[in-house]
Amino acid sequence: MPDDEDLIDSLLGTTPDSPLGVLRRRRPEALRHAQGAYRELVLPADPGGLSHAERAVLALRVALREGDAALSARYRAVLEAAGGGAMAAAAEAPGTPGGQDRVSALLRYADRVAMAPDSTSKADIEGLTALGFTPRDIVATTQLVAFVPYQVRVLAALRAMLQESRA
Amino acid sequence: MTRFTLKPVGWRPRLDPVKAETATPAQLAALEACPPAQRRSTYFLTLAHDPGSLGERGALFNIVMYAEGGLDRADRELATAVVSMVNGCVFCTSVHAKRFVELTGDEPAMQRILDEGWADEPDPRRRAVAAFAEALTRAPGEVTAAHVATLRAAGLDELEILDLVHAVAMFANANRLMLTLGDPLLPKQM
Repeated sequence: MPDDEDLIDSLLGTTPDSPLGVLRRRRPEALRHAQGAYRELVLPADPGGLSHAERAVLALRVALREGDAALSARYRAVLEAAGGGAMAAAAEAPGTPGGQDRVSALLRYADRVAMAPDSTSKADIEGLTALGFTPRDIVATTQLVAFVPYQVRVLAALRAMLQESRA
Repeated sequence: MTRFTLKPVGWRPRLDPVKAETATPAQLAALEACPPAQRRSTYFLTLAHDPGSLGERGALFNIVMYAEGGLDRADRELATAVVSMVNGCVFCTSVHAKRFVELTGDEPAMQRILDEGWADEPDPRRRAVAAFAEALTRAPGEVTAAHVATLRAAGLDELEILDLVHAVAMFANANRLMLTLGDPLLPKQM
C-alpha cells in the first residue's frame, strides 16, 4: 500500500472521488487520525519492546477473531513484510494458545481484550509484566488490540452502505 | 435494577499511570492533543505510557465525538452509552449517559434505557440509533443495507449515518481500553 493511500479505501476498493469516498472526506480529520493511529500502532518508527512482527500478529489475530477477511489478509501481508510470516500459523490456529512463549501470551491477551474485555483482570496485565513487557509495551498492545475492532466496525458499516447504493 | 447508573463511577488503573511532573516531552505533547478537561485524568496518564498511539487515538476520539454538524451530539452520546452497555463498560456508560442527559434534559428517557434497554424506546429516531449501535457492536459482519435503511427511515442523512458509524466504532475501542487497563469504582465503593 503506498504511504498516501487510505487503508479503508484500499480494503473497500473505493476511490476518494467515489460517493462513499466523498462522504468520508467530509470528516477529513477522522480519516487522518484513523490512519495515524494505524501507523503508530502497527508500523511505528520506534516500536519499543513490541516488535513490528508482534504488532502485526496481534492485529491479524483480532481481525481473524472478528471475522473480517479483507482486514485479516492485509495484516497477514503486513506480518510477512515484517519478517514474521512464521508466526501466522499461531494467529490462525483455533482455540486458546497454550504456550508460555511471548507470542502465545500476546495472543491469549488479544483474545480476551478483543472478544471478552469485561472478563479481563489485573492478572492479565501482570502476566505480560512477568514476561518482561514494559508499561509502554502493555499500553501499546492494548491500544492495538482495541483499535482493530474500530477498523472492523467502520469497514462493516461502510460495506453495508456500499451494498445499499448498489441495490 | 441493572448495574448501569447515571451516578458518577470512578476508575482505578491496573498499571501505574505516568506522573505529570516526570512525563517526557513526547508524553506531554500527546496529552496536549486530548480534551483539555481530561489531560490530567488517570486514564489519559495511563495511556501516556505509549505517546504515539495516545496522540493519534485521542485526536480521533475528539473529532468523532465533537465534530461540528452532522449527527446531533446527544445522538452520539446515546449511541456510545448503548455500545458501552452492550460491552459491559459501567464506567463509560455512566459518563455518556450523563452527557446525554446534560444535552437533552431528558433524564427519565436515559434512566429507562439504563434499567430496561432500548427495545421499547418510544422515540423512533432514538430507537433506530440504539438498535443500529447494538447490531454493529455485537455482530459487525452481519450488518447489511437493511440496517442502514432503518436509519434512513428514521430520518438520518448520509453524514449523520457516517458520524453514527464512527461513534459506535470508537466505543468498540474505548470500552476495551477502559475495561482492560482499569477497574470501575462503583458509587458505593467511592
